[in-house]
Amino acid sequence: MTPLLETKNVTCVYSPHTPFEKRAVDSVSIKIEKGDFIGVIGHTGSGKSTLIQMLNGLIRPTSGQVLLNGRDIWENPKKIRAVRFKVGMVFQYPEDQLFEETVLKDIMFGPRNMGLPDEEIERRARDAAHFVGLPDELLERSPFELSGGEKRRAAIAGVIAMDPDVLILDEPAAGLDPAGRDVLLSSITSYHRTRGNTVLFVSHSMEDVARVADRVLVMNDAHVEMFGTTKEVFSQAGRLSQIGLQVPQITQIMSILKDEGYPVETTLTLEEAVAQLLPLLPKGGDDL
Amino acid sequence: MTRDIALGQYFPGKSVIHRLDPRLKLILTVAFIVYIFVVHNFWGLGFLILCTAAMLLTSGVPVRLYFKSIKGILFIVLFTAVLNLFYGSGEPLWQWGFLTITQQGIFNAIFIAVRIAGLVLFSSVLTFTTSPTDLTDAMERLLKPLSKLHVKVHEIAMMMTIALRFVPTLLEETDKIMAAQKARGADMESGGLMQRIKALVPVLIPLFVSSFRRAYDLAMAMECRCYHGGEGRTKMKVLHLTRLDAGAALAGIAALVVVILCNVFFARVF
Repeated sequence: MTPLLETKNVTCVYSPHTPFEKRAVDSVSIKIEKGDFIGVIGHTGSGKSTLIQMLNGLIRPTSGQVLLNGRDIWENPKKIRAVRFKVGMVFQYPEDQLFEETVLKDIMFGPRNMGLPDEEIERRARDAAHFVGLPDELLERSPFELSGGEKRRAAIAGVIAMDPDVLILDEPAAGLDPAGRDVLLSSITSYHRTRGNTVLFVSHSMEDVARVADRVLVMNDAHVEMFGTTKEVFSQAGRLSQIGLQVPQITQIMSILKDEGYPVETTLTLEEAVAQLLPLLPKGGDDL
Repeated sequence: MTRDIALGQYFPGKSVIHRLDPRLKLILTVAFIVYIFVVHNFWGLGFLILCTAAMLLTSGVPVRLYFKSIKGILFIVLFTAVLNLFYGSGEPLWQWGFLTITQQGIFNAIFIAVRIAGLVLFSSVLTFTTSPTDLTDAMERLLKPLSKLHVKVHEIAMMMTIALRFVPTLLEETDKIMAAQKARGADMESGGLMQRIKALVPVLIPLFVSSFRRAYDLAMAMECRCYHGGEGRTKMKVLHLTRLDAGAALAGIAALVVVILCNVFFARVF
């Protein structure tokens, strides 16, 4: 079966033949299946942002191919917009793109560009707003009156409203307070669960990635360093720290305990850790 | 897309021209532009073209970039040259209806084309080899005498520095917002003029909002560091003239002498 989204040796070079020449992505080949929830991690400048922008045709690869449902997305450059509706992209600090008079109109911008009928546009926009947890009374307000977290959610709704097959989020939780972060992450996971769509989630927070992703793509110095299940990737703490990345704190603690000889396994979340540790306490931790 | 605009694009390097004092470079650029507009015969013009070529080569900036800056104004050059072609007086060489070409017209066209191209090339040498901060610094110092006349030289220079400083930032921001709107299906590459202007609204509004925010932030940051204008302000980088600068100044004067001699000894053709 052809994967939903695939890259074949994609390479991207910025400002070729000048002193500023930079190889941002160097022959990367990955396969993304329908329904995947992939966390993308890597240092600043490792090529994550360039890679994800090539996936929806915002950056044209210098060489190599990006295949959507087995077809090269640059086969017909005039049809590239259709690709962008299928592969939705939420940039870092997406609230900077809000421009309409009301929040609802702003969310409708994407679906309107798709040329859908009016009722369908509004239905999708309201659905998307509901998904990200924006209350109805906010929809008629100006986007510039909203709080930071609400703006962020409105901007994400603007992409979800296009109902893309693949949703790419670049650092969606950056700069939010812990509560806003929790709300956002859980609305993204529930979006993934209910619609069954593919999600790519770029983040610097290993905790967030461990919590939501099924698979993790590690980028380093324009190359793919690792690509595997979340457990596989985070069990290689040594290799990750060599490229300046860390594993979640709870995973670190549990791996130290494992090294000390306790019968525990690689653990990604606090809940799993509690479930493993409680039975090890005297009386199974009943007196706690 | 917006990166193609070669607006005062500094091209770092270590050539002789890069190392010159920016004040001197500014004066020499103005001088050479004056020379090329003063010279009135082919000997002098040829000499100045040679000077230009020598300067382009010693600047260490790829010649490709100079061609790029010429390409931007190619239309204006050709348009004015063709227009001048038909505005000469004297014996007609060729006539068709109301269009007449004279020898004078051909000379006019050549001179106009070379002058505009020279103007652009000289200024490109300056902007390619001088960082924007050095350039405004030089301007501030050269205009200093005007402050006696209550012209706020420092404030003007500061505004220019800030404006230049934010050109790349705004370009980057524009790229970012355009990418975000394109990701939502905004179509900026097709349609008629009205449609294209309308397509810019989703880019311009966020850009305005963020520019105002940046301006407030910058003003706040400057006040926090007790910025209060030019009065009694010292410089971190004090410019000094070196031997190299003296040499360049001599070369500039020598070029002036050659231009004057050409104008005196050879007949005017333009």
